[in-house]
Amino acid sequence: MLTIVRFLWASFAIWTAYALHPSEAGVVDWHKALLGVPLTRPDFHRTTGAHGATRSVVLTATSNNVIGAVHPENGTVAWRYLFEDRDPVVGYKAYNDRLATLSGPGGATFRILDVNSGHLLHELHLHSADSGRLFEPVNLGVAIAFDDSDKSKDTFVLTNGHTLRRINGKSGDIVWGWTSPDQTSLVVYSKVVTTSDAIYLIGLAKSFASYTVHVSAISPDNGELLSDADVPSSIINGPQGLIVVSHEGTRGKSVRLAWLEQARIHSVALTPQLKDKPTIKKGSAYLQVHDIGLQEKGLFVATKEDGSGRVIRFSEDGALKVFWEFADSSPKYTESTYAGGLDKDGWPYIARVYWSHVFRQASAHVLAPHLAEGKGLVTGFTFPFETQKHGIIANVAVDAANPEEFRVLSRLVLTTTTGAVQLWQQDQHQWTREESLADIRVAEMVELPEPQLVASQVGIEETESFGARLRRQLADAQDFPQYAINFAKRFATGSYASASSSIAPASNDTSPLSRDTFGFRKIIVAATSHGKVFGIDSANGEIIWSRVFGLGWAAEVGGRIFPLKIFTTRTVSDGDTPQVVIVGQRKADNSLVDTVAFHIDALTGEDVSGTSIGQDILQGQDVIAGALVEAYLFQDGPTKYVVLLDEYLQVHLFPDTPENADSFHKVAPSIHLPLRTGTAGSHRLGGHKVSPEKEFTGRHIAYPIWTASLPPNEDVRSIVTRPHEPVASLGKVLGNRTTLYKYLNPGVVVVLTSTSTPSGPATSCGVYVIDGTKGTILYHANLPAAGGVCDVKAAFTENWLVYHYYDDGSANADQAKSYRMVSLEFYEGSGVDDKTSSSDLSAYSNDTTRISVYEQSYVFPRGISTITTTSTKFGITVKDILVAGNNHQVQSFPRRFLDPRRPNRKPTAEEQEEWLIQYDPLLPDDPKRVLSHRYQVARIRKIITSPALLESTSLVFGYGVDLFFTRVAPSKTFDVLNENFNKAQLVLTVAGLALAIVITKPMVRRKRLRERWYAS
Amino acid sequence: MMIPLLILTLVSLLCSSLAFDLKGRVVWNEICPGIGDLGQAKVVLDNGNLYGSVTRNGQFVIPEVPSGTYILSVVAHDHAFERLRIDVLDTDTLPEVRPYVPGTPLSPPSPVTLPYPITLIPRARYDYYTPQESFNLVGMFQNPMMLLMLGTGVLMLAMPYIMKNMDPEVLQEFKERQAKITDIQSSIQNGDLKTGLSAMMGGEEKTSPAPAPKPQASAARNRGKNKRR
Repeated sequence: MLTIVRFLWASFAIWTAYALHPSEAGVVDWHKALLGVPLTRPDFHRTTGAHGATRSVVLTATSNNVIGAVHPENGTVAWRYLFEDRDPVVGYKAYNDRLATLSGPGGATFRILDVNSGHLLHELHLHSADSGRLFEPVNLGVAIAFDDSDKSKDTFVLTNGHTLRRINGKSGDIVWGWTSPDQTSLVVYSKVVTTSDAIYLIGLAKSFASYTVHVSAISPDNGELLSDADVPSSIINGPQGLIVVSHEGTRGKSVRLAWLEQARIHSVALTPQLKDKPTIKKGSAYLQVHDIGLQEKGLFVATKEDGSGRVIRFSEDGALKVFWEFADSSPKYTESTYAGGLDKDGWPYIARVYWSHVFRQASAHVLAPHLAEGKGLVTGFTFPFETQKHGIIANVAVDAANPEEFRVLSRLVLTTTTGAVQLWQQDQHQWTREESLADIRVAEMVELPEPQLVASQVGIEETESFGARLRRQLADAQDFPQYAINFAKRFATGSYASASSSIAPASNDTSPLSRDTFGFRKIIVAATSHGKVFGIDSANGEIIWSRVFGLGWAAEVGGRIFPLKIFTTRTVSDGDTPQVVIVGQRKADNSLVDTVAFHIDALTGEDVSGTSIGQDILQGQDVIAGALVEAYLFQDGPTKYVVLLDEYLQVHLFPDTPENADSFHKVAPSIHLPLRTGTAGSHRLGGHKVSPEKEFTGRHIAYPIWTASLPPNEDVRSIVTRPHEPVASLGKVLGNRTTLYKYLNPGVVVVLTSTSTPSGPATSCGVYVIDGTKGTILYHANLPAAGGVCDVKAAFTENWLVYHYYDDGSANADQAKSYRMVSLEFYEGSGVDDKTSSSDLSAYSNDTTRISVYEQSYVFPRGISTITTTSTKFGITVKDILVAGNNHQVQSFPRRFLDPRRPNRKPTAEEQEEWLIQYDPLLPDDPKRVLSHRYQVARIRKIITSPALLESTSLVFGYGVDLFFTRVAPSKTFDVLNENFNKAQLVLTVAGLALAIVITKPMVRRKRLRERWYAS
Repeated sequence: MMIPLLILTLVSLLCSSLAFDLKGRVVWNEICPGIGDLGQAKVVLDNGNLYGSVTRNGQFVIPEVPSGTYILSVVAHDHAFERLRIDVLDTDTLPEVRPYVPGTPLSPPSPVTLPYPITLIPRARYDYYTPQESFNLVGMFQNPMMLLMLGTGVLMLAMPYIMKNMDPEVLQEFKERQAKITDIQSSIQNGDLKTGLSAMMGGEEKTSPAPAPKPQASAARNRGKNKRR
């Protein structure tokens, strides 16, 4: 008997397992692979294949610590390599078919990747992260150079500012290493140049008011120091102004070092003996020298004080000569950006890009120095760069082709201040990648309005005459036969809206945004830290609108806006277009911090407050002249508004209308706010009440009423609150017909803390469940801090808390090391049938602390970066736990396995009735529950869930480096017809039965008749 | 010149005495034939503070591992690997590698030791999908319930003709048997199991010598056919 029950159990478990069908992949979900905002100028890199065919990729290192390659033809990601957070990329260089990278402090780790596939060829640890020297900027003191003298594919790597190594290209081993004898001295090397005779290390030595150039020549064969010299010089603005130009002449490679000193270009020839004396180039005064990536072709750009740029060439005779002047600069243009590139034959090209304020267009000039008999040929064009959509051009990369004489075709890759990467082929826009989406700070899913049905005759029935009405109705009725046929056809063969079909609009669909049958389509409003907010269609991930944040008064000094919170202040059910408010912190470059609010229409991105003009930059309102402590959304009937608290705990409202002020004044006495205050490392938790009357400043003020009694060295890391969701049932009916009532005190918060010794790593982490109205600690757990870091993740919904941490086994010698997930449930009173009505209880009642806790701990398969629960419209559906794992997957864990009431023995019949299964410390890692299936969803930082119109389904949006959207049905789609429902079978069966009746009816009648005749 | 080299060797010696570079290899097999299939993967100790990336030839190095006991796991997107327990010792001997089952205590250690350098074998490829059941007419009729239904339907339709063409003797016998069956059914329905059972027994007894009349039946049918002519 038991085996049968167990079998039934197993089959039920299989049956309830939600999994994706292969046909649904990519239909119900989408994934956008991103790289991140490029930190430096991207590079076109061209490789030659086996058959002489060339292919190029755009290489870039990004602020998300990713090195990636993009196909220039269509802007898709060719490959990407994700670096760990504590292993930041400090330098990279591509040569032929390989890409060398240095990462970590001082260049601790060296890697070689295949430039076409991104596969890791070698990884070499050069020094420990602790012994790495930190420089500012990070790419100082590290450099990579390839040995181009022979085909050895060896690499020369400079790390920590004073160590040079030669690394074998085939085996990835170190051939030799050289460390500067006086590493404690003030010489920091920052450049490596290779020739067949010597490797030159170029660095700066600090002297009194400036830097002096220091050069060391090292033998490429055995790493011995050939010579070492200080070059008489005085450089003020660091190593950026050092330029090494080389020229491949008949007598081998000659190298010259150039720098700017007192507005003149100084230069010195580099020879193994380092005997040359610097020379000063006479002529114009220069403001700046620019490395345009063509140093190996002997070219660089120097800008004069009037803004015009000169191309300077290292000529055959070993001197630096002005080759070309990009004149024509005036205040009507922005400062020009220069970039160099090579065509497939290796000829250099130089592009200059600037923005014209008058024509409101960008212009590009591309110089081909080798054309026009070596005199140089410039091709110019303008292109319609949308500055109000993408900000300002930050960096440019150029790639050119010369299909016929006097004709140069070029393509430009632009990166902008809002994080967009664009490719322009001459003046034709090819593609745009919005890489700032890899840095979303806040996002919210907003419901769409219902589709608008066209009703032409509404309202005229009252006035029209009988004849007119008859005519109209006849005209309407003439379509009836057609309709009836269609209806029959649809009834017999048509399919119903399915919960697993695509909801993406057709590509040529121009109808206004509207929701689908089940409300799966929403608009995702996502604000990034690169000053841009996007409206994304949740059906397919397309960007519907985007706006650039205005800086307000800080536009003159410059600054950045960091979005902190987003609130939906009006939804479709309130009767009009939905609106959102984004609260952000503006950090101006003059170090002033303000809190600004942007009020936008979620469907179009239009400014609701009306301060910005048209599709220009979105202007916000300065709400607080200072930093924000916390912001909440308040709902009073149909009106919703945002309540903000400044550093002095003064209350600000947005929008600040008299109605909102009145409404807040009414509810103010009943507000309790648990707040996290204090400075980094010593955050405190305190409960606050809002003063019932306005203070003399004209504002309500929050004043403290309790402080959490935590030890002084315990830092409050974060507060996890319950999402505002409906709770379907207040209790849980057990197998023996008793009820456990859920503890639903609305003031309860979860607090995550870390305890550390002064200025040391964390020694332990804490999880508290605290009644936010009076500060009572309801639950407390001390967790180990693995590696001195507190990395506890928690999700809290209804009366259920789940948290995840790493247990390093330090507490108990024989305990296993593993990731743990702890599941907790809080119930009212001391046991079953003990009801205290916690959700309606007064905050001062003693019953609020009378709770019982069920707790169980599980071994979790892997580390996670975020955790959340699903959310549905009415909260009837079981809630699953969604996590983003460290293996770039989004996975769901069913509640049944995480139920803290799982018995430690074989479940009894009563427990089986509750679907409880026996406790097993190991949580099953089921690949069928990986929502992101084959997608590599890189580094999801946060997952937000939102209900659909269908109670069974929850929408899931994860963002981090990548964007990922899907929908889940934790209890299967019980409110729509099953996907496997076989309409054809039903229709066939009904038709077959009808046929059988038609056939047998006359037979039966005949038989009856005969029976009557021959009845004996 | 000698001094920097000396320092470098000294430094490297110092490093090697403090910590150990853990080396190993992922063996490509039919589950995971190469790095293109595996993707960017890393081999981590414990919670990932110490790790090494898997290179194209499957090798990995976890640098500077201090002595201690670690759980080694592979972070890969599509492939499952076993976990190992690694003991890096203070002495100069090689680290000990043992199999490890997640969720089990670390002591006592497993008596089985595996060779060093570590070899990791891809054990399975994750299967994320469940096949979709689709409608197919043949499949529908292969269902035993459907077959039964069809069979009964055909029998029902064909019954009058069979009855008509039956030999009167056989018909008589058939009717008797049917009457008996209805008897049993009604007795079972009335809860009178005993009579039902005895009737069943009796029926069986009677039907046991049945195989004999079979050829007769066919002969009778032939006769019937002849008669009709």
